[in-house]
Amino acid sequence: MNNKKGFMNVSFGWIFALVVGAFILFMAIYVSVSLIDLQGTNQGAQVSRNLGMIFDPLETGFEDSKTTVLDISLKSKITNTCNLDSSFGTQGLKTSQKIFGKEHGGDIEVEFKNKYLFSDKIIEDRYFYIFSRKLDFPYKVADLVFVIPKSKTYCFSGAHKRITNLTMALNLDNIVNVSGECPDNADEKVCFPNSPASDCTIVVDNAVTQTTRKLGKTVTFGDDSTMLASIFSDPEIYECQMKRIMARVASLAYIYDQKKDYIESKNCITPISLDNLYSQAINYEDSSDLPLLYSTRNNLIDNSKFRDCLLW
Amino acid sequence: MVNVNKLGQMKIQQTAFVLIALTLFFVLVGLFFLGFYLQSVKEDVSELNSRQAKLLVSKLANSPEFTCGTAFHSKYADCVDSDKVLILMQNSSRYKNFWGVDDIKIWKIHPSATHEECNVLTYPDCTTYNILESGTVGVYESNFISLCRIEQEGGKSYTKCELARLMVSYTKQT
Repeated sequence: MNNKKGFMNVSFGWIFALVVGAFILFMAIYVSVSLIDLQGTNQGAQVSRNLGMIFDPLETGFEDSKTTVLDISLKSKITNTCNLDSSFGTQGLKTSQKIFGKEHGGDIEVEFKNKYLFSDKIIEDRYFYIFSRKLDFPYKVADLVFVIPKSKTYCFSGAHKRITNLTMALNLDNIVNVSGECPDNADEKVCFPNSPASDCTIVVDNAVTQTTRKLGKTVTFGDDSTMLASIFSDPEIYECQMKRIMARVASLAYIYDQKKDYIESKNCITPISLDNLYSQAINYEDSSDLPLLYSTRNNLIDNSKFRDCLLW
Repeated sequence: MVNVNKLGQMKIQQTAFVLIALTLFFVLVGLFFLGFYLQSVKEDVSELNSRQAKLLVSKLANSPEFTCGTAFHSKYADCVDSDKVLILMQNSSRYKNFWGVDDIKIWKIHPSATHEECNVLTYPDCTTYNILESGTVGVYESNFISLCRIEQEGGKSYTKCELARLMVSYTKQT
């Protein structure tokens, strides 16, 4: 009888201590893991926000392009999203980082309305090349920002000297220009009309159709800036960003049209009409509309030459 | 037997009190830590907002909606076209949250004019251009700019530039 009671006393105390101990230990581990996750999410959101801010100094003034290298200090995955939800759409960025082999963050999307980021949908590296190119229509509309992982190599085969000079001016050591076949270790083989290469991953026709074929989709471009955008970005991202940019082209056309009326009252008369550009930009559907818009843009450039009174 | 039972009950009560005290202690420590963490997150947000405002204000004058471009036949740095700004003010609802700051205003410094808010009626003899207004009280960052426009005298038009401050405000988290 005494033995039984003793056995019961000891086992209850031990079982109680074990249950409570296990519960406290479980709670401590759970809280720690949650905090690490929360910290990762916070870190990811901060990196995305910082990334957006890095684009501000890349805003061009009178220069055509600017380049910088970004070091995030840990291998990071950046997810580029483009939304057409409001009048100018939004640029979304999600960043997750690998800590001890596990991915943290990437849940919070940081949004910017005045940024246009051209890249693949998901880019992963510790170092990234970031460069911007000014887009004129014919007035300055936006800076196109390009983000490329430093470790991803591009081979431009058969590019015209103008394109070769353009890529060399960007100072990116992960782009090589060749006249013949690309090396096998190139991640993206970009073939231009004069290229003899056969295993191209991206095909650019800047001679006749002004199109780029990538990932099975064909998009149209209008100048060197948009050609680079079509090469370095996912086709869906490219189409979405161009639609956002056209919304801004239309908005600026409206501002310049109003300005034109205003300065005419100051005896500053200009014969330029922005009606066509405005209606084409506001009705923009996809990049197949770009040739018409660029033709209107080029007419505006010709018409505004040698004028005393300038709008932009 | 009764004494043994009472002793057992006492022990269980003691254990229960210790457990309650332990739980309360951990909850308090957790709350303290959470408060500290949330405060640091708020400080981080404020710091990021402040940095964004500083970077933006230094580059906003080159933004297409503001910049003079080559409209005045010269390439001026940090030059804002006041004619465009006046039109932008009339369409400011489209640009709400566009630059990621609460308020954007331009304050003309020299030559000083009547302290009037700029609108279609008072332009250009006015001082303050309220381009974006959120109604919240924020912290301002500013940058000096040239504020230029087309003017006319004796039937001829010419460019007139004035000194101004471009100001952007952001909300400070407290």
